[in-house]
Amino acid sequence: MKKKGTGIGCMWYGIGNTGLPNPAAAFVEVHSDGSVTALVGCADIGQGSSTVMAQIVAETLGVKYEAVNVTAADTGVTPEGGATSASRQTYISGNACCEAAKVAKKILVEVAADAFGVEQDEVEIKNNNVFVKNDESKQMDFLTLMGELKKRGKIALGSGSFNPDTTSLDPVDMHGNPYACYAFATHIVEVEVDTDTGQVDVLKIVAAHDVGQAINAQMVEAQIEGGCAMGIGFAVLEELELEKGAIKNPGFSKYLINTAMDMPEIYPIIVEDPTSTGPFGAKGVGEPALIPVAPAILNAIYDAIGVRFTEVPVTPRKIIEALSEKQN
Amino acid sequence: MSKVKISFNLNYEDIVVEVESNKRLLDMLREDLNMKSVKEGCGEGECGACTVIVDGITVTSCTVLAPQVDGCSVITLEGLSKDGELDKLQESFMEAGAVQCGFCTPGMILSAKALFMKNPKPSKDEIKRAMSGNLCRCTGYKKIVEAVEIARDK
Repeated sequence: MKKKGTGIGCMWYGIGNTGLPNPAAAFVEVHSDGSVTALVGCADIGQGSSTVMAQIVAETLGVKYEAVNVTAADTGVTPEGGATSASRQTYISGNACCEAAKVAKKILVEVAADAFGVEQDEVEIKNNNVFVKNDESKQMDFLTLMGELKKRGKIALGSGSFNPDTTSLDPVDMHGNPYACYAFATHIVEVEVDTDTGQVDVLKIVAAHDVGQAINAQMVEAQIEGGCAMGIGFAVLEELELEKGAIKNPGFSKYLINTAMDMPEIYPIIVEDPTSTGPFGAKGVGEPALIPVAPAILNAIYDAIGVRFTEVPVTPRKIIEALSEKQN
Repeated sequence: MSKVKISFNLNYEDIVVEVESNKRLLDMLREDLNMKSVKEGCGEGECGACTVIVDGITVTSCTVLAPQVDGCSVITLEGLSKDGELDKLQESFMEAGAVQCGFCTPGMILSAKALFMKNPKPSKDEIKRAMSGNLCRCTGYKKIVEAVEIARDK
């Protein structure tokens, strides 16, 4: 018999290394042709951090995204970025990029104010346009501004670094402030359990994530969907067989992971509640995407068949064993 | 190991090469012919990262010996773009945001290409089935399937 169930999993998760200093830095230079170089230590391992860094630099400077060239994770030229781990790079390296771009922008604004003959706080740079607020007659394009810098012998260069404001944890009572910000998420999952075969099919996942501010919504969705795939594997599929320290199933025909055919409908929901310390309010999503999936699935299995599992993966064999135990 | 001379069509060009008879198709494509889009993942035909199209059928090039393609036509990802113009599948993968780390992407695109060669208007389920030999650990597959649907509808 096939039985359906629904389950909820909720989580909060600290962004950055726990109770430790974990800074990152960036260099930003605006060139005379209007292009921008950003040097960041942050390693892009596919989550899209280099794209995010380029977006943050472009938005801060007021130039087009396409103008920004990011060189990332090249120890020959890039500053310290720390590990791409702990869901930290958008928040920490993103802040470093923001700071570096602000320093470079200050030079752009100083020169623009001088060229216009106005105060610096009257100058605005947006979408490659340089203009004076409340005075439409005073504006120039970005390349003209770069020409003004050249005339004055100025280079628009900035560096920045960011270290989240944390404290170490008290070794006795573990009190302290280990993270500068937290991500929150709730997943709701629908499953179907086949009580004859023990097969658990995950039918649908609704995954809501507070990411502070999505710098790139499409990539946030992609990370959430990837977390769901990995979470389903963690909950019902991926069983690492160890014997005397050796892995007995080191291959994809024995250690099963989801394929395109196994995936349920996934509905990512991005919740934006900007955090005061993040770049444009952004936090992190890397690990949060995975965390609520398995608890929500196990709750849904409980809802479907009334058996509470506390270990993963819940394989067909474990379902059948639990159901026959319940009957006796 | 002795070499054998084989002739085959690679990305719409006839070529003749001398290759060690025990060399894998994967290694010949990468090392001898500079087709670096072909990725080695598991090396035992389970992950699909090294997928190429041989005579219209997808194969894992890590489990095919190079001399086996003598007289065949082989397509790698390099064969999809023409004069700098990307294939509609490559365009749609970018549009959908279907690429994360990118290691599975060449194989994914070639599996979709082989599907289109047989069935230009596949259903969503047919797409999922055709892509199910290609593993991805980053995306959750949703944007990959969407990308193939976008290309189908172009």
